[in-house]
Amino acid sequence: MDERILEFIGDLRRAEIRISPSEAVDALAATAEIGLDDRETFKSTLAATLIKESRDRETFDRLFNLYFLDLQALGAGLKKALGPEDPRIQQLLNQVMSEEGLDLDDMTELMLEGQGSAMEMAIRARGQGAGLERLMYFLQIGYFSRRIQDRFDWETIERDIQQLMALLEARGLDPGQLARIRSYLDLRLESFRRMIRQHVERELERRAWRQGERLTREILSEKPLFALTPDEVNQMKNVVARLARRIKDALALRQREQAKGRLDARRTIRKSLAYGGVPMEIFLRRRHREKPKLITVCDVSDSVRNASRFMLQLVWSLQECFSRVRSYVFVSEIAEVTQAFNTLPVERAIEWALKGAPVDFHCRSDFGYAFSRFVKTELDSLDRKTTILMLGDARNNYNDPQAWALRLMRERVKGIIWLNPEGQWGWGIGDSVMPLYAPACDVVRECRTIAQLAEVVDNLVHHWWRRGR
Amino acid sequence: MFDSVFPSVDDVQQRFRSEKYIASRRISTVVYLAARMGRPVLIEGPAGVGKTELAKALAEITDRPLIRMQCYEGLDEGKALYEWKYAKQLLYTQLLRDRIGELVADAHSLPDAVAKIAGQDDAFFSFRFLSPRPLLSAILAERPVTLLVDEIDKAEPEFEAFLLEVLSDFQVSVPELGTIRAKHIPLVVLTSNNARELSDGLKRRCLHLFIDFPAPAEELEIIRMKVPEISEKLAKAVVAAVGKIRAMDLRKPPSVSESLDWARSLVILNAEELQPELVESTLTMLVKYEKDLERVRGALDKVLAP
Repeated sequence: MDERILEFIGDLRRAEIRISPSEAVDALAATAEIGLDDRETFKSTLAATLIKESRDRETFDRLFNLYFLDLQALGAGLKKALGPEDPRIQQLLNQVMSEEGLDLDDMTELMLEGQGSAMEMAIRARGQGAGLERLMYFLQIGYFSRRIQDRFDWETIERDIQQLMALLEARGLDPGQLARIRSYLDLRLESFRRMIRQHVERELERRAWRQGERLTREILSEKPLFALTPDEVNQMKNVVARLARRIKDALALRQREQAKGRLDARRTIRKSLAYGGVPMEIFLRRRHREKPKLITVCDVSDSVRNASRFMLQLVWSLQECFSRVRSYVFVSEIAEVTQAFNTLPVERAIEWALKGAPVDFHCRSDFGYAFSRFVKTELDSLDRKTTILMLGDARNNYNDPQAWALRLMRERVKGIIWLNPEGQWGWGIGDSVMPLYAPACDVVRECRTIAQLAEVVDNLVHHWWRRGR
Repeated sequence: MFDSVFPSVDDVQQRFRSEKYIASRRISTVVYLAARMGRPVLIEGPAGVGKTELAKALAEITDRPLIRMQCYEGLDEGKALYEWKYAKQLLYTQLLRDRIGELVADAHSLPDAVAKIAGQDDAFFSFRFLSPRPLLSAILAERPVTLLVDEIDKAEPEFEAFLLEVLSDFQVSVPELGTIRAKHIPLVVLTSNNARELSDGLKRRCLHLFIDFPAPAEELEIIRMKVPEISEKLAKAVVAAVGKIRAMDLRKPPSVSESLDWARSLVILNAEELQPELVESTLTMLVKYEKDLERVRGALDKVLAP
């Protein structure tokens, strides 16, 4: 069983649930303590030792059901498949077996007793030798079921059954009764074969799921954002949420390193009074950590909407890493959407910002106009602690770029970081005015994939404030 | 080392019940494991579902006195572990000045005097002048105790790291006195309302238990147990109504403690069934925000529909 649990833990890890070796050891010790008798208790035991975030619970439940079969339900299913069990036949068989002291094959006995759990174990054991790890496609189910079936010694089982029938005949049962018993046994064999097939099917499901998870993580984080399908956008939200957590975790560590600082005279003197004026304990003023004030300005026209979506999600999930976040969206008209984030959950606020904000979503992007409007209304609210995070492809539809507006903004703030969801090769070609805007920005980054976005935001949170700007 | 407190999971469940705490099988399993493996339990869940209550009940059923440490912003090691009674130390040195004078009277040189005083310094740094705070009391306790660290998410990450140290080997070092090791491993319960993410280290160390709003059947049982005067019919109506209100998208959905308050107030008002006017006037027991109140009032007929 331990192996099965470890395998299960391996899959949980692959699903990006962090499980440390010590937790794995805990799980093994705890399950040994609890035993396997009660499935629910077993499940809560694993959950308590392995799953420390309630949001991972769903993944856990799904995987658990794939790994640890509900044997009781399985048993019930088996009974159903067998039709109404004939207790008299079963009784007769048991009696014959015990009286005659038949030396039956283990498998035959298993079949006759019809114990769901033991059968499942036998199938699993055979499956390991049958190369089940190569199972990948739906079409292979038949092949692998057959391979597992072939690993059972059907001839011996058949011979045992023949022997049993002969014995029954010798006891003087009439042909009608014998035929009934024979068909009962055949039904059992058949249902056993069906169990094998089910086992392979489940295994495939488990594998497919595993593959799917890996896809989400590796391929999605390298995939250009504009090419995401709505489904992928949904999966991506989880990826972004994970990223945000990782960035935050690292932050907590760094804060601990900052236990040095200048002398806090006030507290030191006050404490010294307890020692008759001798400064026995020295208090240090914690170095003030400057959290960046952040303004995000996002282009939300169709071409870059996904990039804006994830940038907003990432920034707003990291809210506590910034002293203040304000967000604006534009196509050509620009509008502040901060209010939505303050009142709604991040997810819904983003939807609103991308669809319901008071800007015209159907006109052509006009960066120049948006910036000039921004300068006109918001310039006074900018200060040296503010960093502007700009997201857009700088494709200005041949409108006036008005780069002076961006320069004016730069003069007021600590820095401007421009994320461009378009590949660097395209900057300056056609209607792209990136080269005109770039001189006013401190950092211009290509941001085609989630991985690139994460890198920029991580740098912003961890390093940006340190630089003496 | 871990004396088995409970013989089985079922036993845990029964004992909780006798303490008037309805614990699901899941809760009982985790508590059983915690006692068995000597691990802290980290309980998360919405406010008012009985996290703290669980710790209190646990203290009762195991007959281990409860030591409670309420966390808050700014809680530091000194307030959680121990503090020297400076004033008392100072007072004693003042009072005993003469004795100290006598002690060094026959010293011939300064080093000699220092050595004499050094020979006595333990007198001022002993348990006499130490005031133990919750964590140290739990470690020093002569008999096994239950330690409740309430709302750990309110404390700072630094404190969490310190707590982790204490919880992993149940020993602390007081520089002047040396290392103190726990005589008995206490049962530790930590609660969190998820105001912030807890560190991975702490979570790794603990068994995790998420308590959500109870299922209707469970809640009915809780109400009947805690408010025995309530009629069967009214209790059922209360559970149904609370369930519907929880399903609404509220800022703070009512939790168990609120539904208990509501049930109690209905009993005091001699209610037999949920009349709309009565519900409206007692709704503040259940829903605590003005906006939420408006929404529930607006949908009152739906809430009360059978």
